[in-house]
Amino acid sequence: MIETENLTRKFGDLTAVENLTLKVDEGEVFGFLGPNAAGKTTTVRMLCCLISKTSGKARIGDFEIDREADCLAIRKMVGLLPENVGLYETLSAYKNLDFYGRLYEVPDQKRQGNIEHLLKLLGIWDRREDAVGTFSKGTKQKIAIARALIHDPQVLFLDEPTANLDPEASKTVRDFILELKKEKRTIFMNTHNLDEAGRICDRIAILKTKLIAVGSPEDLERSTSGRKTVVHLESVTDAVLAAVKQLSVVKNVRTSENKLILGIDNPEKDNPQLVRAVVKAGGDVQFVTELRSSLEDVYLKLVREAEVQ
Amino acid sequence: MRLWKSWIVATKDLSLFRRNKYILYSLIALPFLMGLLFPVIAIFSLQTEATSLTTAQLTETATLLINLFTSYFVIIAAILPTIIASYSFVGEKLEKSLEPLLATPTTDGELLFGKSIAAFIPCVGATYIGALIFTIAIDVWSGINLGVLLIPNVYWAIVMGVMTPLVCVLSVEANVIISSRVNDIRAAQQLGGFVILPIILLMVLASTVRTFPLVTLALILSGGIALADIALFYLSKATFQREEILTKWK
Repeated sequence: MIETENLTRKFGDLTAVENLTLKVDEGEVFGFLGPNAAGKTTTVRMLCCLISKTSGKARIGDFEIDREADCLAIRKMVGLLPENVGLYETLSAYKNLDFYGRLYEVPDQKRQGNIEHLLKLLGIWDRREDAVGTFSKGTKQKIAIARALIHDPQVLFLDEPTANLDPEASKTVRDFILELKKEKRTIFMNTHNLDEAGRICDRIAILKTKLIAVGSPEDLERSTSGRKTVVHLESVTDAVLAAVKQLSVVKNVRTSENKLILGIDNPEKDNPQLVRAVVKAGGDVQFVTELRSSLEDVYLKLVREAEVQ
Repeated sequence: MRLWKSWIVATKDLSLFRRNKYILYSLIALPFLMGLLFPVIAIFSLQTEATSLTTAQLTETATLLINLFTSYFVIIAAILPTIIASYSFVGEKLEKSLEPLLATPTTDGELLFGKSIAAFIPCVGATYIGALIFTIAIDVWSGINLGVLLIPNVYWAIVMGVMTPLVCVLSVEANVIISSRVNDIRAAQQLGGFVILPIILLMVLASTVRTFPLVTLALILSGGIALADIALFYLSKATFQREEILTKWK
């Protein structure tokens, strides 16, 4: 649904995005992580045809972002939640959505239906005639998401959807995004919130001007330290240690108190063999768990490495 | 260009202007005050001359004064857009609503035209309200004192029907261009004030010309302003850059 190839954007001497190549499938929730000034917003703006690219290619569906005629079609098929909600504070929630619905060319009846559906879904229907300026930040954010959805877009770009929100408002917005995920919309989400990205996104890309890494949250969590199996024992004996070291599937072993921490490439396949060896050597197994780096660890490690380079 | 899209933008802006008391009061105050002040000055001047002039001379003097004040309504039509049109894009920037607006399937021309209509309608409408007050006051005086209604006359008709809307369009376009390129309303209004200075100067000079038929002069000026309107619309389209507005917006 979204495809970029060596997409680059420069502002004078400053390169905001460099050779970005990625592919987002239809119905996928794609998280875009990166520190401030990493080029996330610039990428979204390029993909929404708001600013031009310096070089490279990008397409949304069948449309190229650098063709004038295609840009109108792209703007019709995407919904954008910018970093700042940008609602008209003196207009009501209903009028804000109605204005955008009309600009997105949604027919009258469908538009009214969509507004009612979205405002009811977000729990704002009873306050639809209130001026947006009277709403809380979280509610404004919800209205802005509703605005991005008013024309039923195939692709949704969310730029920091929970930034500056209190935990309760963040949860409401996050739950709403999860609802959208069930509708199989393609969602491209810029975020600083690693926990949120890990919970919502099917895949995550980490950007620091250049693309540093891309993969599922699980793949990324495993990527920096490899996969590790932790065997909790009554006590770690020399016999047990010797037995696991003899196994060819074990790449490395270290102990920590009563735990064995073992590097194993394919734990689904090899853990049964490992457990059998431990038991045979007289080890009393309490638990077998997987040790993962957190997404935060991975993110920080990759971003710091990129900074050094 | 799809005019209905421009109309959507215009109706939204008109709705915002209605809710902005500063805009609303500023828009009404000037034409309303001038609509009252011009006839008061004119009638006071004529009344002091009335005893020393014949009816024919008084009518001629009254016509000269009326034409002079009628010209000043063109200046009002040039000034008002500095209040309202300066809000068009700067207002969107302040509300941070420009990015979602530019993300809609709307062309630059449609946006610019919509913003211009939204500024034009209230400005020209407020000018006409002021002119209507002026016309009624003058006609009441002339009806009682001279036995004739001095307005409308040909010059008044050309100024109100042709020149006022054309000058208003010119000022609106200039102010919309300024509004799309600055980040602050006061800066937009100050720059807008500079832009309309030549129009004011032109109207003041035109109103003092005695060697050239006034009606002919008004028609020539109207033609020139119409050409300037067209040129400025194309200039505004050429200078309106979504990207520049977004990336240079602080």
